[in-house]
Amino acid sequence: MIARELALAVWISLKTSGLAALIASAVAVPAALFLSGREFRGKRIVLLVNQTWMAAPTVVIGLLFYSLLSRNGPLGGFGLLYTQAAMTFGQVFLILPLVVGFSYTALRQVDRRARLTALTLGASPRQAGWIVLREARFPLAVAVLAGFARAISEVGIAMMLGGNIRGATRNITTSIALETAKGEFRNGIILGALLLVITLGINILVQSGLRGRDGGA
Amino acid sequence: MSRPVYRLERVGYAYGPGPGPFSLEVEALAIGDGEILAVVGPNGAGKTTLLTLLAFLLRPTRGRLEFLGRDPWAAGDGASGARRDAVLLTHHPYLFRGTISDNVAFGLKLRDLPEAERRDRAEAALALVELDGWGGRSVTGLSAGQAQRVAIARALALRPRVLLLDEPTANLDAALGLRMEAVLREAGREWGTTVVFSTHNFSQASRLADDILYLSEGRRVEFSHENCFSGTAATDGRTSWIEPKPGARIVFPGEVRGHVTCVIDPAAIRLTAAGEGAVPPSGPNVFRGRVGRMETTDAATALVRIVGDVVFRAAVPLREIESRGISLSREVLLTFEPGSVEVVGERPAGSKKSS
Repeated sequence: MIARELALAVWISLKTSGLAALIASAVAVPAALFLSGREFRGKRIVLLVNQTWMAAPTVVIGLLFYSLLSRNGPLGGFGLLYTQAAMTFGQVFLILPLVVGFSYTALRQVDRRARLTALTLGASPRQAGWIVLREARFPLAVAVLAGFARAISEVGIAMMLGGNIRGATRNITTSIALETAKGEFRNGIILGALLLVITLGINILVQSGLRGRDGGA
Repeated sequence: MSRPVYRLERVGYAYGPGPGPFSLEVEALAIGDGEILAVVGPNGAGKTTLLTLLAFLLRPTRGRLEFLGRDPWAAGDGASGARRDAVLLTHHPYLFRGTISDNVAFGLKLRDLPEAERRDRAEAALALVELDGWGGRSVTGLSAGQAQRVAIARALALRPRVLLLDEPTANLDAALGLRMEAVLREAGREWGTTVVFSTHNFSQASRLADDILYLSEGRRVEFSHENCFSGTAATDGRTSWIEPKPGARIVFPGEVRGHVTCVIDPAAIRLTAAGEGAVPPSGPNVFRGRVGRMETTDAATALVRIVGDVVFRAAVPLREIESRGISLSREVLLTFEPGSVEVVGERPAGSKKSS
């Protein structure tokens, strides 16, 4: 596998999975904030569905989106199958419950007094919500990173919705699958190690960035 | 009373779903502008619930709560506007991640004050709680007392119209507690701040407040605090006394005249069983009564209620209960040193208490 091809696969992995993590977080964190701050009828069912969804296999999600996006499917007209956009949407669907679940747990662990203190010091309910998010920024970052890690390491959706097209939708994991199928185990292992190094680097960057903003506290 | 800041009419709050039972019910209450009101009562009396209602963090389940002549919940902003004028300091305050300065300036930032003014006000508030120069430190690792002082500074920095404090000196040592009391009085004078605070400490309430609201089991009650007696002091120049009941004289040292309130610490009272063979204690402050109630407060102490001409409550070590033969309905003699009588609210009879 030539270096240029490898770099492209890394870039496609980072782009699709990073975008999936961002989109999922934009939906999941507000949803978790809502769930953590309110009691309502059916909340337990919502949480149960979310937990069950977390266990959905990537190939099942891949298959579901494949049937939606394939030429004869209801969304076939958009021509998204075997594109990076399809991979991203599939990954959003995959990691959404994970980010909701982790964020919900993180926000539930924020001291209830944080919101009340913010309110009594003059914050509006919206500002108080932001303050609660800020207080939970470390575990929330972990939730988003866990989502990203799940997206970048999955292969089923990338393979089924991306099609492993060289230079277009081939990412690290589908490259590993391809190299393994070709019997090039050494290449597969190198790509796997690279995947771990990338995830580690992103974790370190995010955590140190947050620590810097926290003034060392 | 000056113009009321708060007016409560048949206000009730129930924590559970449905119409009740109410954890707090206040038939009528008006709190005047610039007034210092103490809310006194045992645990579970509803003090914190009342303060939380006054801070608009809870909405009354029934009744009408007016703030500055208006119902703050009717404004359509979830009472956000009213909350900017009434700051609540909780018993166990929460400090946000970051530095002490970040915390003290928190509310000022929300109010979009210029940075220079935020800094000046934060420094001034920290000086009031004797934390000058601590602004740059992280809140991590602060003791409960230090955290309490930071939270007091954070509230004072806002110079709010109303300051609501839930046991504000509970985590502070006695000297600092007195200093904080002076700060609260000063806030009232300087900024016209109305102060409502809860306390278990009756002498603190008497020292600091213009008025005292007594709560018990969520209801406003007439005060009948044991070990606390009011009356007009007489003196012989060396000692002084009041007589809450004719012939029942509570003696304390010094020359005191006028209307006073005397508080006797339950732990300062000594009990002996009355009866044959017992040598009655001599000197002032000896009272006779029967044990009306006994309850243990911890593993080593019991609270004993003695009912006689005057009702007292004594904190007695359990081993003494046994060794001195004290039991329910038993006739006992109680005594306490004149020096153990705390005299509060000392002022000329008939005058209004100054803040």
